[in-house]
Amino acid sequence: MTRYGMLIDTKNCIGCYACRTACQRQNGLDGDVDYIRYEERETGKFPHVRIEAVPLQCMHCEDAPCVGVCPTGASYVDDTGRVRVNEEKCIGCRYCMAACPYGVRVHNKATGAVEKCKFCTAEAFEGKAKTCSCVEACVTGCRVFGDLDDPDGELARAIVEKNALPIAGDRTKAKIFYVR
Amino acid sequence: MSHDITRRRFIQGGTGVAAAATLLGGGFLGFDAWRQAYADAPAKEVKQVHSLCNSCSSKCGFTATVEDGKVMTMIGDPEHPYCDGTLCARGYGYASIAYSEDRLTNPLKRTETGAFEAISWDDAIKEISEKITQIIDEDGPQALVLIQDPRPSGSYYTKRFMNALGSANVYTHGVSCNMSKVSGMTQAIGVGDFVSDVANAKMVMFLGRSYADGIRPGSLHDLQAARKKGARIVMVDPRYNASCLYADEWVPIKPGTDLALVLAMANVLVGRGTYNQEYVANNTVGFEDWAARLPEYTPEWAAEITGIPAETITRLAEEMWEAAPASSIEQGWRAAFGCSHKNSGETARALCLFNTLLGCWGAEGGAIFYPSASAGKLTDPRFAAPPAPKEKILGSAEYPLAAASMGVSTFALQQIAEGKVKGVIFYQSNCVGGYSNPKQLDEWVRQAELSVAIDVQMTETCKACQYVLPDTSYLERLEVPEFVGGRVPVVALRDRVLDKIHPETKPVDEIFAELGRACGVGQYFDFTVDELADAQLATVGLSLEQLQEEGIVAFPEKAYKPGKEITWKTPSGKIQFTSEACAKAGFTPSPTWIEPLVMPEEGQFRLVGGKQTIHTHTQTANIKPLISISKKYGLERPWINADVAATLGIEDGDEVEISSDAFTGRTKIKVTERIEPTSLYLPSHYGRMIPEQQLSYGVGLSQMDFVPFHLEPGYGGTMAQETVVTVKKVGA
Repeated sequence: MTRYGMLIDTKNCIGCYACRTACQRQNGLDGDVDYIRYEERETGKFPHVRIEAVPLQCMHCEDAPCVGVCPTGASYVDDTGRVRVNEEKCIGCRYCMAACPYGVRVHNKATGAVEKCKFCTAEAFEGKAKTCSCVEACVTGCRVFGDLDDPDGELARAIVEKNALPIAGDRTKAKIFYVR
Repeated sequence: MSHDITRRRFIQGGTGVAAAATLLGGGFLGFDAWRQAYADAPAKEVKQVHSLCNSCSSKCGFTATVEDGKVMTMIGDPEHPYCDGTLCARGYGYASIAYSEDRLTNPLKRTETGAFEAISWDDAIKEISEKITQIIDEDGPQALVLIQDPRPSGSYYTKRFMNALGSANVYTHGVSCNMSKVSGMTQAIGVGDFVSDVANAKMVMFLGRSYADGIRPGSLHDLQAARKKGARIVMVDPRYNASCLYADEWVPIKPGTDLALVLAMANVLVGRGTYNQEYVANNTVGFEDWAARLPEYTPEWAAEITGIPAETITRLAEEMWEAAPASSIEQGWRAAFGCSHKNSGETARALCLFNTLLGCWGAEGGAIFYPSASAGKLTDPRFAAPPAPKEKILGSAEYPLAAASMGVSTFALQQIAEGKVKGVIFYQSNCVGGYSNPKQLDEWVRQAELSVAIDVQMTETCKACQYVLPDTSYLERLEVPEFVGGRVPVVALRDRVLDKIHPETKPVDEIFAELGRACGVGQYFDFTVDELADAQLATVGLSLEQLQEEGIVAFPEKAYKPGKEITWKTPSGKIQFTSEACAKAGFTPSPTWIEPLVMPEEGQFRLVGGKQTIHTHTQTANIKPLISISKKYGLERPWINADVAATLGIEDGDEVEISSDAFTGRTKIKVTERIEPTSLYLPSHYGRMIPEQQLSYGVGLSQMDFVPFHLEPGYGGTMAQETVVTVKKVGA
């Protein structure tokens, strides 16, 4: 069974925002609708400084709080493990936005629905089309996408090799793993 | 393709669905029938087009998927040397300019009340050309000036137009970019650019340039490769820039003092005899002159000036020598010495001479020169160049070291006030908004007898002009082929990705051809840009159709070959430690220390600029996907050192007032450990004063507002960082 996931190596992330604007183009979003947000952290004292940029987007949690609170069943987990929103069913109540611990759902004024990362890069992974998804567009190549259930796949191997972990512990069984 | 039916598609697909419903006999349409109708509706028109980005000067190649006239997926071309397969954030975001609400859609003329009103193309061309003719009749063609930010068609057509009129005055944005760097390097090595072979280097030192901030993806990929291979990377910069992620060491430096660092490192090597003596003996002239001047530049002396400890300076010089010839100081671009200080040109010259001590020119991992390709001579007489203008570009006497290919554009504007220049045309150049002090430039442009700006959106420059002509966006026009140098040189093409969106806009080639015809030099514009492109490509065995199909064509036979002997295009045919031209311009024959024009005293800061990954100059500030990022994350805020902020009672996010002699402005501030104490960093993209730019208007402050009009002696750079400011918390 396919269970899609991702790895983001923040040690290689320059915080350039290319994944955000590429995602907008790939998904036909307006310029202020963002599926990816960023947290930046600065540590140390001048001149011994370190910076870290962390891109955050829908973690496609297995225990997805957004799915639990959705009153219409619009938010659901599909058979590839992706959390999805059925825009037909979404009434824009934004409960899911409040429930998401990662703050990565956005209300799109143009559609009236709540939206978020769709793991659209699966299309490229499945060989259907070249995309400018966050994974393919990343200038420094910090992202790996793949099937978590494929132990020989690039993703599973990279997660083990780099000891990548979910951003905030395993409480929602997030499927994006970070190297920090 | 997925056939999920979403509400959005339902709305978008409205017309087609309604038509289908009628065909199905009308009446109530059940959901299943609707779904069937939708599925049977004509498929979206999808096409793929190769083209070149316009969000910065790199012009990276991409392939766009266009669905029903909308740019969707954009993929960086793997063969393009600058993008190397990936675009930057600007590339994806800037494409939205085609549909911007703030596009110029009609020719405009400023009325006596100061407001703009629409004017027909016929009237605009007639009035402008009559004025041009009158100026030429009364004052000669040198009273005309054209300023442009070079793009493939723009460079070709503006030069052709001005030269046809007999004027040599074609300027670029160089004064406020990399002109001092290019000009200083030319004095030492005969050309204005080289490339550090970063990917193969053992050590590279960067002076103020950050591949991860002013992004050219290919360069960033090289830096990553260097890091992976274990090269030693040193970032000398007042700021802990984004490239520091790949650096072994950040060396904070007081801005304007890079020359002192380079001189002191050179002194360490020459004093100890640890330099490539054989290389210097065989390939250079004037070494003795520099060697005799260097001893006073001790690391201790430089430590005082730069803020870098003397032992660090000595160690860096030693490390560079140990890594030689697979080491170099990277050439820089704008930041530290492109146009920033009174000593910028001489810094660039000294940098080349330091690299010469390493013997790294042409060495693997050293400083190399990429090959380029170009179109051959065109035999069709329609393409014959106009005669070369009799006079030199205005400003070349006053700023003899300034690269003639760029010219001192702001000096040319100053000549409006002197009565020597009567007419000025801008093409894709927001000169007034940022080449020097905007208030001063605005005043001069408004005094001109003729002023014309050609652009896609209203800018400070357009606002100062009498006529504003609407350009098509870069996505709507085909341009002259672009030959790009690199490890493997290529030719690439900007093609029409979209059909023209606003009927009254015109591409640059048509605008200058029409102006040329109206000014009586139509014989030089008797062809279309497609014909020109095809003719140029024929000289390298290609056709326009072929390049449109392939997007990019490489010239592998011209690929870079290490170890090839270098021909130095200097007067002596060798690398020049001494320059006669520099001596004539008032400098020492070999570079020596020059104090910056101003130095911050206690309680003052040097105001420094610099690029952010998501913006270019002022041209991207009004682009929704890009300015939305700035607004969300407060990227317009200036940076202040955390310890200094604490002594001033300033906290992160506080509203502050920043003052120089020229300007006072208020903004929120970012308190950070990432900047050395004497600098205040103001990102170079904000402070737009044009209400017609609805998204950028009033966001942040503009660096150049704080800087008075002045020019670097000899080189003509705008000295963008020669100003000091004070900072105080508002309400404190």
